[in-house]
Amino acid sequence: MIHRSYLFAKGWRSATPVLLLLPGFLLYLVMAVGPSLATAVYSFTDATGIRGIAINWIGFENYDEFLFRGAASRDNIAALRRTIYFCLFVTVIQFGIGLLFAVLLNQKIRGKKFFRTLFFMPVILGVAIQGLIWKLFLLPRGGPAAEFFQLFGWTSELLGGQPRQAFAWVIVVQIWANAGITMVIFIAGMQTIPNELYEAARIDGAGKWQLFRNVTWPLLTPAVNTNLLLNIIGSLQAWQLFLVLIGYRPGTQVLGYLVFAEGFGQTSGSVASAFRQGYAAAASIALFILVLVFALVTHAWLSRREKRYIG
Amino acid sequence: MTAVETPQAPRKAREHGPERAVRGEPPGWLVRLRRQKLASYVILLVFAVLYIGPLLMLVTTAFKTLPEFFQNPTGMPESLRFENFTEAWNEAQFARYLINSVVYTTVATAVCVVTSVLVAFPIARGYLKGGKYILLLYVIALFLPPALIPQFQLILNLGLFNTRAGYILLFLVNPIGIIILVNYIKAIPRELDESAAIDGCGYYRFVFKIIVPLIRPAIATVTVLHAIGLWNELVLAIIYLTNDDLYPVTRGLIAFEGLYGANWPPMAAAVLILMTPMVVLFLFLQRYIVSGLTAGAVKG
Repeated sequence: MIHRSYLFAKGWRSATPVLLLLPGFLLYLVMAVGPSLATAVYSFTDATGIRGIAINWIGFENYDEFLFRGAASRDNIAALRRTIYFCLFVTVIQFGIGLLFAVLLNQKIRGKKFFRTLFFMPVILGVAIQGLIWKLFLLPRGGPAAEFFQLFGWTSELLGGQPRQAFAWVIVVQIWANAGITMVIFIAGMQTIPNELYEAARIDGAGKWQLFRNVTWPLLTPAVNTNLLLNIIGSLQAWQLFLVLIGYRPGTQVLGYLVFAEGFGQTSGSVASAFRQGYAAAASIALFILVLVFALVTHAWLSRREKRYIG
Repeated sequence: MTAVETPQAPRKAREHGPERAVRGEPPGWLVRLRRQKLASYVILLVFAVLYIGPLLMLVTTAFKTLPEFFQNPTGMPESLRFENFTEAWNEAQFARYLINSVVYTTVATAVCVVTSVLVAFPIARGYLKGGKYILLLYVIALFLPPALIPQFQLILNLGLFNTRAGYILLFLVNPIGIIILVNYIKAIPRELDESAAIDGCGYYRFVFKIIVPLIRPAIATVTVLHAIGLWNELVLAIIYLTNDDLYPVTRGLIAFEGLYGANWPPMAAAVLILMTPMVVLFLFLQRYIVSGLTAGAVKG
């Protein structure tokens, strides 16, 4: 297995590199790649989460049930649609806010470091803390958000209100939690743009907007691509804030939450309820296909756009 | 041409900056710049309020009594009630949760980083036949379906469900970490390997005594990336750990919420207790943390 070019020293000609590589690589195959591929296999079975119960091959049964059978399938389709809405809103707004932050904080401005730190900080807190902070902030009676909306005569139960409202608030928290990453990637992209280009454009009489439109934006293409793809993939798969903020509530679930709830018996809130892991595997393959399609379409669109810029 | 200017006049004057300067007025571009700066500050401050608001609410709540909180959730606390912190600390077993989290994070991160270096080095150097394909396998992983359910079946059938070892086993690999390390090692000159080998330095010693110190920034990035993800993990802790004694802090916090529900003051104190070390650490290690958490982005 040792490569030919690897011949320069006697001590190293042994199998040592291979032996030392194996633990990491085998762990990777067993814990990540294997299970990942096995998800497809499990989606054709009636596996449960209980040890020792026989697992039977049931073909496309799970997919059939997931997409076409009864009220549950209508809920599933609704969850699928909701996942796409969640992705669209989060991606567009987070992209916009991240870009705005980056533009504002990439100029000579006082308190730059403070603002950057502040906007990035939620990222490190993790869903449990992020969710609990916002649960408190969105306290329906007398909480800051409720008080603020009362000024406009608008009363709401916020997270406990209509499913649509609760859903919208999760979008807000998701963006609050992750806009910092988008910002940092944009700032990193902006710092690679050589200053001479701006000076040259300025000498040609370009205004601030023209500088952004004709220098920053096209040269920011790599950061734009990265951010769009990360936001789209991340938001399609995101569901953990739903868990912390509202729990499994009809009319709010997204696909990722559905997988967890079906697979680990959290639908009714009791741990002892059914673990339908085969069915959940089918749902997670559905989510995977959704992510794949979105990622490929976006990627194709982005590379066309990039060609247009570079020529 | 002073008091009775038409509205258009100043705009014209701006094109003749020097003349304005001679008159002792700030030149036009400076006026424009200031206006832009002002707008920038206003926007930033509005967002800063949105970012600080929830944190402020958390801090004020943590110092209130329960009746005070119910009467006036939004106001400042009348006196600082530190009992919330002791109550939270004693009621939930946060000391134990913290120890659990520290154990899970250090053990899994250490194993992950050491094995990752040993995988990344020969791949980066091309010392293995098919090393390119191994690397490809790590890149592809980022696009594979989630491993959640078969992973659960695996741990269950190994008899490691609801054990520390089983939980740690879930966090021993990090494909992005491998990619970061490979890219970094590629920048280190190969001649180093040759001269070390000629001097009789063994492979293992070479990797850990010479390569590792040279790739310290990459190792720091990978460590931070892995440790933060693990420390903040909630879902896998819910799935795999049912015994209260094994909970990491995230799971413990959610369990505490289940018990305390609307009793927000100790709840807020608990969140604050667990959040503060993270924030302090972040302020000190900001550079590594930012590069670690955005490292997935360098793939382009």
